[in-house]
Formats: sequence, C-alpha cells, structure tokens
Amino acid sequence: MSLAEGKIEFNETDFADTQAAMQHWQHFPASTISHHGGQCCQIAREWILSTDYSQLNAGHPLTGPRWLRLKYTWGPSTWPIYWCEAVERKTLDCGVLAALALEVFAARGVKSYPAQFIQQYTDDATRQWTKRWHDKNAPVYWIKEDLIYHEGCAVVVRDNEIRLWDPSAGWWVNPKQAGGYGGLLALRVFATQVNTPSELIWGTQRIRPNQWQKIESARGELALATAK
Amino acid sequence: MKIYISGLYSGTNPQPGIGVARSLRAAYPNATLVGVEYSNRCSGIHWPDLDELWLQRPWEELNLDAYAADIKAALDAGALWISGVDLEIMWLASIFPAGHKNLLTPPTGALRQISKPAVEAHKGLPVSIPPFITTERSDWELHAFCRQHGWKVWLKGPYYEAVRTHSWDVFTHMRALLARAWSTERLFLQTHVTGYEESVCFSAYQGELLDCVYMRKRELTEEGKTWAGDVTEVPEEIVTPLRRIVKELRWTGGAELEMVRDTGGQLWLLECNPRFPAWIHGSTIAGHNLPAVMVERATGVPAQTAGAATCEEFTRVVLEIPVRAQFPLPSLPEPFPGGIGHSMKHPSGTLALAKRLHKLHIVEGNGNGNGNGNGQPGRTNNVDAPSVPASFIDDLKAYDFAEMETPSWLFLESTAAGLFKHAAELASKLNTPALAVTNAYSIKTNPDERLIRLAKESGFLAEAISLLEVQKALKTGFRPDQVILNGPGKWWPEGLLPDAPLHAVFCDSIADLRRVVASMERKELQAKIVGVRLRAPTVGSRFGIPVDTPAALKQLVSAIETLPRASTFGVHFHMASSNIGVGQWWHLYESMLRWCRSIETLARRQIECLDIGGGWFPDDWHKDSDDQFAAAIQRARNFLPFVKQIISEPGKAMAQPSMALAMRVLEFEESAAEEIKEAVVDGSIAELPMHFFQPHRILRQDKRTGEWQPLKHGKTHLLGRLCMEHDIVAANVELPMGVRPGDVLVFCDAGAYDRSMSYVFGRG
Repeated sequence: MSLAEGKIEFNETDFADTQAAMQHWQHFPASTISHHGGQCCQIAREWILSTDYSQLNAGHPLTGPRWLRLKYTWGPSTWPIYWCEAVERKTLDCGVLAALALEVFAARGVKSYPAQFIQQYTDDATRQWTKRWHDKNAPVYWIKEDLIYHEGCAVVVRDNEIRLWDPSAGWWVNPKQAGGYGGLLALRVFATQVNTPSELIWGTQRIRPNQWQKIESARGELALATAK
Repeated sequence: MKIYISGLYSGTNPQPGIGVARSLRAAYPNATLVGVEYSNRCSGIHWPDLDELWLQRPWEELNLDAYAADIKAALDAGALWISGVDLEIMWLASIFPAGHKNLLTPPTGALRQISKPAVEAHKGLPVSIPPFITTERSDWELHAFCRQHGWKVWLKGPYYEAVRTHSWDVFTHMRALLARAWSTERLFLQTHVTGYEESVCFSAYQGELLDCVYMRKRELTEEGKTWAGDVTEVPEEIVTPLRRIVKELRWTGGAELEMVRDTGGQLWLLECNPRFPAWIHGSTIAGHNLPAVMVERATGVPAQTAGAATCEEFTRVVLEIPVRAQFPLPSLPEPFPGGIGHSMKHPSGTLALAKRLHKLHIVEGNGNGNGNGNGQPGRTNNVDAPSVPASFIDDLKAYDFAEMETPSWLFLESTAAGLFKHAAELASKLNTPALAVTNAYSIKTNPDERLIRLAKESGFLAEAISLLEVQKALKTGFRPDQVILNGPGKWWPEGLLPDAPLHAVFCDSIADLRRVVASMERKELQAKIVGVRLRAPTVGSRFGIPVDTPAALKQLVSAIETLPRASTFGVHFHMASSNIGVGQWWHLYESMLRWCRSIETLARRQIECLDIGGGWFPDDWHKDSDDQFAAAIQRARNFLPFVKQIISEPGKAMAQPSMALAMRVLEFEESAAEEIKEAVVDGSIAELPMHFFQPHRILRQDKRTGEWQPLKHGKTHLLGRLCMEHDIVAANVELPMGVRPGDVLVFCDAGAYDRSMSYVFGRG
C-alpha cells in the first residue's frame, strides 16, 4: 500500500491487527542468557560489566549502552545462548542484546525491566529478515507478516517513570509514536519483582506491567480523524 | 502589506529568511515579501516566494547612515522588517533606540539580557547554563578550566562560531584566529554538554508572548545544525516564566532558546538567539506559524490558517531552483595559489559588520584602538595576569640574574620542598594500620638528584622505567626494596639489575609477565610485589596489558595464575590526568577498580597492592584534593578488600613547579603605534618542549622596583633562538613597557618534562 495517497496520509499502522499480534506473542518470555556455571561464562560476564563501566566515559548512568551495538552487529542468533558464546559472536539478535543491556543497567545500579515490543515495518523488510534468518538456520518466530516481535529494556529514570531502550538500534524509543515504518504498536514490560509499581509512566502513556498494551499513535489518530 | 525579510543565506548553516518567507507566504498570499541581502552569493535571494529583492552592498562597503535612513523610510511608509541576522538586529536596535512599531526585532536592553554566555534573562526557566570562562582570564586559568572539564570544551565567538578545542595547542591557535576574525579578545570557553539538542522558539510583540513551540532535533548536519525535527507544545514550566521574561524585556520579534537535554534529563541553555531559527517553517508545518502571528499582531491583518497542522515532524531536502534573471550567479573567486577551496565564508561581510559595530560601540569589543589606560598606544589588554605562588618569588631571590648565563635552569628550592612536604603529609594522613598509602617519585619526570633526594627524605618510593634509572635511585640513596620497576623497556640495559629484592615489578605485557615468571624461577629477579599494568580501555594508550576483548581478559587471567605465589600480587594503572581531564581520570580510577575486582575474582589472586598514577597537573593534585584522595582510598578498600598498600604516583605534580627557565630578550622591533609583535629570546622549545601542551607563567623583574611581575596575555610572540618555524616559546603575551634587549624572562612551571625532555639543539 502506498503510504501517501493524495492529500491524506494513511499509515499501515491504522490497519495493523495489533490485537492479533499481541495474542500471537502472548506467551513469549523475555530472553535470558544461560550460564555454564564455570569460568568461561564468568569471564564473559565480568568482561561485559567492566567494559560497560569503562565505556560510560564519565557519562550519566542512564546513558544507553550503545557500545554493545557497536561491538555486535544485529542479526540472527541461535538459542539457547551462553555468556561465553554471546561475547564471542559477531552478530547478536535483539533478545541477546536486550539481556546484555539489562545486565549492564543493573550493574550500574539502574533499575530496568525486560520490555517486549510489537513493531510494524513492511512486507519487503520482513521478507528480507526472514531470508536472512533462514540462511543462518535461526527461527523466525519473531516475524508475523509485516509485524515483528522485538526486545528492549524499560529503564526506570525516576519513581515509576520509564524510558524504553532499544539495544538493537542504540536509541531510546520515542514516547510520542507516530505509527508507520518502525512504529511501536504494542508494549509489554516484565516487572514481576516485589514492590513493582502497578503502573509505569512512559512519556504521556500509562503502562501496566506484565501485559501487552497497545500504544497510542499520534499520527494514526490524525489520519483517521482526517479520513472521517 | 510589504514585509522586508533579511538573512537569506541558505548554505549548510542557513539563516532563517527563507523559512520566514515561506511561512509568511502561506499566511499572507498577497503580501509583498522583499528579500534583504548583502551579497549576491547568498542563494536565498533566488527563492521564488520573494516578490522583490533589496540587495545591498556588503557590510564593509555600506554607508550605514544612508542605509539606516532608507530603512526608516520604508518602516515609516508602513512596511515591516523581520531580521534574520544577529548583528543586523543589534545595529537596528541602536538605530531605533525607542523602537518602531513596524520593526519586528528586539530592543537594545533585551539584547543585553540575552548576551552569551551568561544569558542573564534565563532566570526562572528550568535550565542551567553550562560552565564557561571568558578568555580574558589568564592562560593558566583557562588551562585549568579545560582540564577540569576533560578538554570537552568549545571556544566560542561573541556572536557566532564555536570550535571544539581538545588540546592546548588547538585552543591557542583557534583563539588567535577567532580573536582576529571578530576583532575582540572577548571570546569564551564553555563546557560541552552531551545530550539531545532541543529548542524553544517564540514570537512576541512589544512584550506580549504570541506563540511558542518546542522542537527536538531528529537529524543533524555534520555541523550539528537541524536537518529534521519534531515540533510540539512547550511545557507549562517553560511557558509561564517565558511569558514573564518576554514581558520584562519588552521583546518584539522571533527568538530561539537553544538547549541540550543531557542523559539525566537536565536542560542546559546554550544561547538565546534574537531571531527566528532557520527551521522556522518546520513550526509552520506543525501548525504554529510564528512569523505570521507576529505580523498579524503588528498589523491587525488576519493571517490565513489553511493547511495548518499537517504534521508534527519536518525534514529538509536539497532543492535546485532557477536563478533570478536580474541576479545572475557571480563568478567563483580565484583559489589562493596552493590553497584548498575558495575561501568564501561570510560573503555578506558579517565580520566587517562586527568590526564596524565595535568601533561604533554598538557591540562590545576591543577593536576601537583606544587603549585601556596602560599608557601604551594601541594596547587594549583587559586580560588577567596569572597568579604566581609566593614561594616562586622567594626562590628567585637566590639567583643573581645580572651575571647569569642564559638560558638557565633555576631550581626553586623552597617550592620543591613544600610540594614534597605536602605529599608526605597527605600520605601520612591517609595511612591506616590496615592500609599503607605511599608516594612514589617518577624518576623520568625529572631525574635531578635534588628532587630524587627530596623524594627519599619525604618517604617516597622511587619509580624507575629502566635499569639505568634503578641505578640512579640507588646512587641517590634508595634501597632496592624502595624501588618500583615499571614500563615496557624496564630490563634495559642488561646487567644492571640489583641482586637484592625490589619493592615491586609491574609487567607491561603478557610476554613481559612470562619473562618475569621465568626470571623469578631462576632467582635472577626478586621482588616483594609482582603485578601487572592494565591498559586503560577506551582511553588510547600503548602501555599495559589490554583487556579490550574477552579473549584478552582470559589470557591475562591465565597468565596471572602463573605468577609465583611467594610474591604479593599488585595492579598498576597510569594515565595522565592533565591529558584526559580530572573528571575523566577519576572515572578511569573507578573503572580500574572494577577491572581489578573482576581480575581478582577470576584469577583467584588477591590484589594486595594498587599502584596508581599519574601525570597530575600540580594544581589539580595539591589544591583542595585531600578529601577526594581520602574518598578514593575508601573506594579502593570497598572494591578490593585485600589491598594492603596503595602507591600514589603524582608524577609532574611534584616536579613541574620546582624548576623555572631563565632566558633573555635578544631583540625586537618597537612600534610607537602598537604592541610589539615579535621579540626574539635566547631560550627555545629545546628547553621548553612542553610549550605546546601547557602554558607557562612568565615573570619579568621590574628594573625600578625589583618586583617580579607575571606577563599578561597580549599580542607579542616570543620567538625562540632556533631556526625552526615552530620555535615560538610563547604566543600572544604582553611585554611590559620599558622592556629592553638583555632583560631576563623567567618561564615558571618548567620542572617536569620540559626539563627532562629538553634537548641539545643549535649549540654547535
């Protein structure tokens, strides 16, 4: 579908079946990295955490660990994955990168939760990704037509206010979503610890932990309003 | 309706004129938009929304009085004027001190309140001003500012231009260029704030805030200029104080608050521009036509609002447009022979306008040539002289300069003694029964026996980087068990290793570690402590064992496991804080503690000795740092519970102030009209090789009073005696009145690497 037809701009988002996607990925756990229990994984973990602190470069602890994405290309990973394997790989998928980011935030003393995203791209993009994952014999459970399942971190900045770190992109997700290519359609934050607030604040949106939640799209509303 | 719009430059760092014209065209399709420009090289003059073009001669040629009269006539005839050029706005404010209802620019009083870098008017806004320092302070203070902020600083011009100055030589070079370009010494250094660039843009008329928007840059050019952004409502915590500020300043016109939001969420105000930003049409796209609301308020003519609020996000593209027939493209200037590019910056003569406004006292500067009361024509120096410790002056009294051959090194005895005393007292204060804190003197920093002896007497260990240095330490009275051996070439030259055990040996590489293990097994080498020097990751260094990959860490851990258990294990790291900055050094320290803890855990080897350095600038180590060192010791204990000794290597903090260099003025050409431009001295960079890295406080004795006075910043270059182009031992100093050939100048702060790395050159 063309993204612009005449004067009215339509977004794929407006027609995406977010509800079906949330059901599709309802039982997906957030990714975790396994540990052999030996020195191999211990060295790998210590290396990641010490390197992260060095990379902070006297910056604020809330600085996103973008260095991980510079070191590791985003791409297919095979699961399960162990610490000693992960650090030696050149390519890591969003699950591994998110798990690493959670570890480094925790080591810095910054509270963060695993976060799952449903994002919209295009059929062209997801076809490319499917082929790339197939070529590496990696599963493509994370792709559903033009929608994808993705992982990141919900980082607590103060009280119950969060920011969403996308470790595969190396950026903070814009809390003002406009839909369209790369748009965030749904979010689930895993916050199962004791004393977890019943509601998290992301920008102007209230996020209920441990359940998929549709994300408001400013542009989607505008386009629909115009179409009416 | 006729509206004059200036500032049509449309290069990669564009002015707002085209954006203003596009926005006004959308709101007033029938208005006559007149583009005002001062060079036919500005591509914006060809923009089709401009109905007419008022092309003036460049500012250096313009008759300002006649031009002012023309503008007044246009305004009196009912036309409006929206300026997109800061200096033009300042000039217009001086032409119309009482304002003009059709002049849509802010008044002089308001402009003063937003001048950089303090931006006085910001009070009440939820923003902070990044730390800054005027370049009218002494070089000594400016260097301290740069160190304090990790050399992440910008040198900024009074109106435009900002240059990253990451080292002392870059700073001094750029300061000279910017001062010359803008005809003023009133530049400033400001710290860099890492974060996201955001802006508030507003439109006001006679103290009434009409509308405002918040913009976040979403794509930037290489120069950091906006390429794409999103536009949203301004938060109430900004709007409320902004409305008050606009009212108090009686602001008319557009304006932009340029800010950076750091990672912690804090907003830092970089500057307040007295005009609309170049991205102003992005605001119009988002439904906030700020130029139009201002015109509507000034004229009472309603603006059209059709097509508003199409999108909250905007981006730029590159367009080719036809050139106006009446204004064909000018020829490209001839490239300078051997030059690169065409040198076409500021085609409208902005620099010339700055110079003219200085002369007219419309903007502050020192290009008026009126002097500053120091009695010397052409001198305009308001720059502070550096302060010099009293001990320097006391120590100089020991020398007879009349008979002294120059250049000559001066040992400042009481100064040196005072430094070592302070270091010894600090170590003693930090000592506890469970943890020994010991200083070590880096012999390479200055191998002068007087300093090594002072170190010995003050309870220091001796740190050597070669066996020759070990021998020097032993000859000066150190015992082998008071010597630390370090560095990549520490075994050179062969055959000089003492038989008795050393205090510590730190391995600089895995190969070095294997050699040490083998030597110890053969009983050739004995040391109480054997350890490794870690290479600081993320900070460029050629020294120490890297840990920049998991494999490197694994290899290090395996190698440590082979170290003899009879020796205590230690870790050493060293990085010059004067190079990376004080804050960065302390972060590196924290980072190293984490690496040490990892190594301790993984190698199952307790770290009992931590050796930390170095390269401290004396002021950073000796002044107000005792509490920080105490906290650092505590941090080390928290991370490394088995540590029993911390060795501190202050490096040049001990040696640098302890020596000075005396040199004589050989000759110069006097000028009655202006400051001496060049003077030749008999010293050179062969004696001051650190000239490029740090300032030296320079003293000159007043012949009449005998008083030693520090030289201020000025316009004289002190040229060294060598026939080498780069032999300039001081750039931009002020030679005091009455200076004569044969006079002695004393370069202080030369006792560290200036002394130890000085070389014989040009002496036959």
